[in-house]
This record gives sequence, structure tokens and C-alpha cells, in this order.
Amino acid sequence: MMNTNTLTMGGMTNLDDHHLRSRQAQWQADKWMMVGALFLGTAVFGLIGFPLFLRGLALQIKAQRQGLSVRPTMVTLIGYLVAIDAALNSIGWALDLVAHHTLLARVFLMAWGNMFDAGYFWHYNELWIGGATAPGEKGWEIALLPVVFCMRIAAAIGFLQMKRWGQQWLIITCWFGVVAWVGYIANMTIFADVRYTGVVFPVIGWWLYDIFYITPFLALPYLHSVNREIFTD
Amino acid sequence: MKEQPISEQDRRRRKALIAFQIVCYGYLLTMFLIQMYMYSVRDW
Amino acid sequence: MNNVSPNNLPLGTTPAFAGMHKWLQRGLIVCLSALVLEGAFTFPLLAIWYGWPELSLQEICTEFEKIRFSDESRECIYPYPLFAPAEGAGQKTAQDVWGVQPRPQYKAIEYRELIKRRDDRLTRQAEGETDSKY
Repeated sequence: MMNTNTLTMGGMTNLDDHHLRSRQAQWQADKWMMVGALFLGTAVFGLIGFPLFLRGLALQIKAQRQGLSVRPTMVTLIGYLVAIDAALNSIGWALDLVAHHTLLARVFLMAWGNMFDAGYFWHYNELWIGGATAPGEKGWEIALLPVVFCMRIAAAIGFLQMKRWGQQWLIITCWFGVVAWVGYIANMTIFADVRYTGVVFPVIGWWLYDIFYITPFLALPYLHSVNREIFTD
Repeated sequence: MKEQPISEQDRRRRKALIAFQIVCYGYLLTMFLIQMYMYSVRDW
Repeated sequence: MNNVSPNNLPLGTTPAFAGMHKWLQRGLIVCLSALVLEGAFTFPLLAIWYGWPELSLQEICTEFEKIRFSDESRECIYPYPLFAPAEGAGQKTAQDVWGVQPRPQYKAIEYRELIKRRDDRLTRQAEGETDSKY
């Protein structure tokens, strides 16, 4: 992995040794970041995961400074963030899709809906399928959950392993993400009366909460401009 | 590498990617402003 | 050096995109931090706004249901029977102004308002009971 440039390493006598130490450093950093990301993906335990994740990131940057051939910081950030973003989205929507009569959904999803987006409050649990009743919402959930978010998590793992398929599939699923954002927001704006009437913090609340999920917009310019040679088959 | 001029292909790609970002964020901003306008005229 | 090309660019970043990548990285860090904070604080803050811990989660659920379907007789059934129809299926009580876009007539719930709603209802019920006795 990424040992193409190792010949130019100054001061390193043994190529294999450098390769080995790089892999060890990367794995060491990844262990921290993976555990951190698992916590981050659960939302509620995010504050536990964040320091773990940052420690891993710091370890990786340190290894980079020492001249070891570890993953570029951007690849690490994008890979993990995209996976966390997808995990967070999946929790909420999986809850709404299959667990709409649990107490958790009927308290927190409903509270969230009452505060930011009445799509998750108005006539909730009245359709035969249960859960959100806002026009179009169920369709988005069914389309995006298995196709976009699950695939994006898989792609992110390949991307973090610096595989070429990981980069290519991350591009594809991030474009899915663009389609999702454009369509979802349009749906939301068109049915704004249903979604914002009787809500505690209409419009501004929703945007403030959701705008940080724009990771595909941030990832795509990088994915299209990074030197593809750093990814291997 | 610094002396090496940026290739024409890279220049065009950069332009396209900047345009892409402007379109994306422009769209989001437009939708947000439409919703803010609705918020100002309706009884939400 | 390996990760850092002669002019200190990270691996994979060409000079043409150095500036863009720097800004993208800043954006990513902002998003990551914001998602963490949101994830950590949304649930507790929502719970507090809607009356926890004075109200149990099931009581909050009940109040939501009464408001949503404009029906004070509704209760949040928990655990909900597995294969039963959706709790709101076929309800006739919810109040909306129907049109091309329906608009609910319930009002936004204020801070800790659910507690007051429950207490008022309990008072009303108690009064109703004493009235009927005499």
C-alpha cells in the first residue's frame, strides 16, 4: 500500500522496514479512529467517541510528519465522516421505517419533529406502514436507506483502505447524496406547509440542524481532483 | 514541482469543480431563502 | 519525503488543487465537530424541553398523542402490540384545515408546556370527580 514513493525516502535504509513501520503506524491510528467512529455513529455517545477519534487522527498526522507512508489526512477525514454521516442518517430513518411504535421513536423522533420538521409529527403513525406521514418522506426513506447510505458506508471502508473501488464507489454514492439533497430539499420546500406549521423552530431550526450533513458536497470536489494513482487495485 | 506549470486539464477541472460547488451551495441557499420568505408570510 | 511532495503538499494533492483541498478539509472538520455536538446534545435537550424528568418518556409520548390527534382520551400504549395496525390508523379526531396542503391546527409546544398540560388535565379530572359526587 502506497509504497511507490518509498525509494525517495531519505535516511531509510530498509524499504521493507519502512513499509512495515508505516503499516503499523496506520493500524495504530485506525484502531483509535474506528472505535471513535463507532461511538460517533450512535449520536448519543458521540462525546465519548470524539476524543478517541481525535487521538487516532493526531497519531496519524504524527506518523505523517515522521515521514511514514500513511494515508493522507483528507482521505481519513472524508472516509470516516462520510461513514458517520451515513450511520447517523440511517439510525433516524431505520427507526422511522421499522421501529415507529417503539417508545424511543414516539418520544424522540416525535420531539425532534415537533421542534424542527412536522413531517415527523403531523399524523404520525397513521399510515398503514406507520411512521412519518409527510408527502414523499417514506419514498425517500426507502430509496436512500438501503441504496445510498448502506452503500456509502461500504464504499467508505474501501476508500479508507485506499482501494480504487473505494474511491470510485465513494464518488458514485456521493453523487447519490447530491441527488438526495436536491430532491429532498425540493420536496420539503414544496410541502413546506405540512412540514413547518405548528413547529417550534420552523425553517431556521431545520437548516441549522441538517446543514452539517452536506458531506457529499465537500467530498466530491476532493474525490474528483485527488491524484488517482494513490489508490490501488 | 513548484516551477511546473499547472496543466490545462487541471485548470479546466478546477474551474468545473468550482462551478459545481457554486451551483450546489447556490441551490441550497435559494431553497433556504424561499423557505424563509414563506416563513415570513405564513402563519407557521 | 513520502507523504509530502517537494513543496509540502499532502499525498494525492496536486499544486492545482492545494487551495481547494485546504478549504474542503476545514469544511470537513467543521461538519464533523458539528455532527458530534448535535448527536450528543439533541436527545437530552429535546427531553428537557418536552418535560423530562418530571414527565416520564411514556407520559411525554401520551401528551404528544393527545396533541397530534386532538383527542384528550388517547393514551400512549407501550409496549405496542407487534402486529397491530398503526396506532393512528383510521382516527377521525385530528384537526386540520384541509386543502391542497393540509395545515394542522395544533399549536407549537412551548418549553415545558407538556407538564402544564398534564397538570391542568389532572386538576380538571379531579374537579370533575368531586362535582359528580355531590
